[in-house]
Amino acid sequence: MSGTPVDDGTVETDAAADQVEDEHRTGISRRTLCAGFGAAAVLAGLGGVKYLGGAPVVRPPGGQDEDRLLSACIRCQKCYEICPRNVIAPTHIEDGILAMRTPTFDFSASYCDWCAESNGGDPLCAQVCPTEALSLPEGATAENTILGKAVINEDWCLAYRLMGCRFCYDACPYEAMTLDEFNRPHVVEDKCNGCGACESVCVSLQNGSISQGATSRAITVVPSEGL
Amino acid sequence: MKTKSLRLLAVLAVLVLIGAGFVVGPGVGTLSAIGWGDISLLCPLGALGTMLASKMVIPRAVISLVVAVAAIIILGRAFCAWACPVPVVSKLRDTFKPKNARESKAACGHTKRVSSGEKPGLSGCSSDCASCGQTRSKVDSRHFVLGGALLSAAVFGFPVFCLVCPIGLTFATILLVVRLFGHGDMSWTVILIPALLFAEVVFFRKWCTRICPLGALMGLIGKANKTFRPAIDDTVCIETSKGAQCGKCATVCEVGIDPRHPERGASWGECTKCRDCVDACPVQAITMPIVAPSAAKPSGVLVKEEAGE
Repeated sequence: MSGTPVDDGTVETDAAADQVEDEHRTGISRRTLCAGFGAAAVLAGLGGVKYLGGAPVVRPPGGQDEDRLLSACIRCQKCYEICPRNVIAPTHIEDGILAMRTPTFDFSASYCDWCAESNGGDPLCAQVCPTEALSLPEGATAENTILGKAVINEDWCLAYRLMGCRFCYDACPYEAMTLDEFNRPHVVEDKCNGCGACESVCVSLQNGSISQGATSRAITVVPSEGL
Repeated sequence: MKTKSLRLLAVLAVLVLIGAGFVVGPGVGTLSAIGWGDISLLCPLGALGTMLASKMVIPRAVISLVVAVAAIIILGRAFCAWACPVPVVSKLRDTFKPKNARESKAACGHTKRVSSGEKPGLSGCSSDCASCGQTRSKVDSRHFVLGGALLSAAVFGFPVFCLVCPIGLTFATILLVVRLFGHGDMSWTVILIPALLFAEVVFFRKWCTRICPLGALMGLIGKANKTFRPAIDDTVCIETSKGAQCGKCATVCEVGIDPRHPERGASWGECTKCRDCVDACPVQAITMPIVAPSAAKPSGVLVKEEAGE
């Protein structure tokens, strides 16, 4: 193809003329095409974070099917906002890129009561979730849905230093804790559903009761598949 | 008050409302799923992405899509100018510039000229202003990002674009700051999320015009939009009434529409109803009526009415 003469007498190079021709034919410039493929490649690479993996996370009611939650959650943040006890919190980068900003629990100040107090036992987070990332199966109750399991770190627990602390035992709404002959608490795994009441009242990280090397409370809820 | 300030106020009101929602907690949601309690209007891209990824038909997502399409048909891409926080966040880049640079940029306006090589493409254009030179093709890089976003959601099985969506990152930043101060929730995420947001829209300048797949999607649906379209009063417009060159409306248009010569710039579907052209017109010839009279109609209707009388 020959160059195209233009009004000031110069002749465009073949390549430039081809490009102009291309644009007129397809309506897409090469630059756009490159940018487009670049962007598509970036998105494909971003999709690959799925295979990086991450730590299992304790999920709010209705989020127990991890694959479903990750495939549907658009990070709209509605569950954090609606939670009447403010225990739903965003997952952080430390738990993996894919899980980042998806809902998990923060039991530092309160626990999940399945909205018994504010919504008659129908969890608001699952109710408002617009994409059904949190969605409860038929007949799911606080008792038969396992959010996680409470685990006691005996090195950090005051009761295991025979100080007589039994806050977690008193707080458990599901009779999932027992005391042994030394008044030390134990978790009854069959009854624990991971509501977080024990963790929310644990004083082991407070001034005067903290154990050396403690990085979290002595009783914490961990994902049940992580056990 | 200039429309620009009004738009800024509208966006700030959205941010404050949603930010207050995080503190008070009535379930306002974010722009990803705005609403009240369990009523939410999902982001159309999020709704499509989540259904493609989870391979489920989600009733609320379908309803949201229908409502969003209806809203876009009526309002076009008004979301981009009046609600989206990204243009406001990206304006933060001006704070890094020295003050005189900002002013000179605002003043320069209509100076870039097209080269003689580009001229033949501008059939029938008498002037050589840059606004005529911006021949925008029907498909641009945003459409590839849109396709890539939907495809990767379907392939990888999670809404991939939501991870980096700057609208989501803006509200994530607000939430993380609220949680940092309200609940002592300390994490690297508090630094990472705003850093990613800034990298996308402050340091990279062309998010809205080159990348945003949501804008692309709205632009595609917006092709059906006929309302609130800028209409020029030909008896007042400098170009038609006096035959002079102006092109101010085309120069100020952020999305590259040429209201005077619509065939040259971007399609009307891209119009964000920002009213910059209305404000820029030196003779106030541009209005944004709810339903624009078509070019031939007014005189025809007039004749008929007169004939009827």
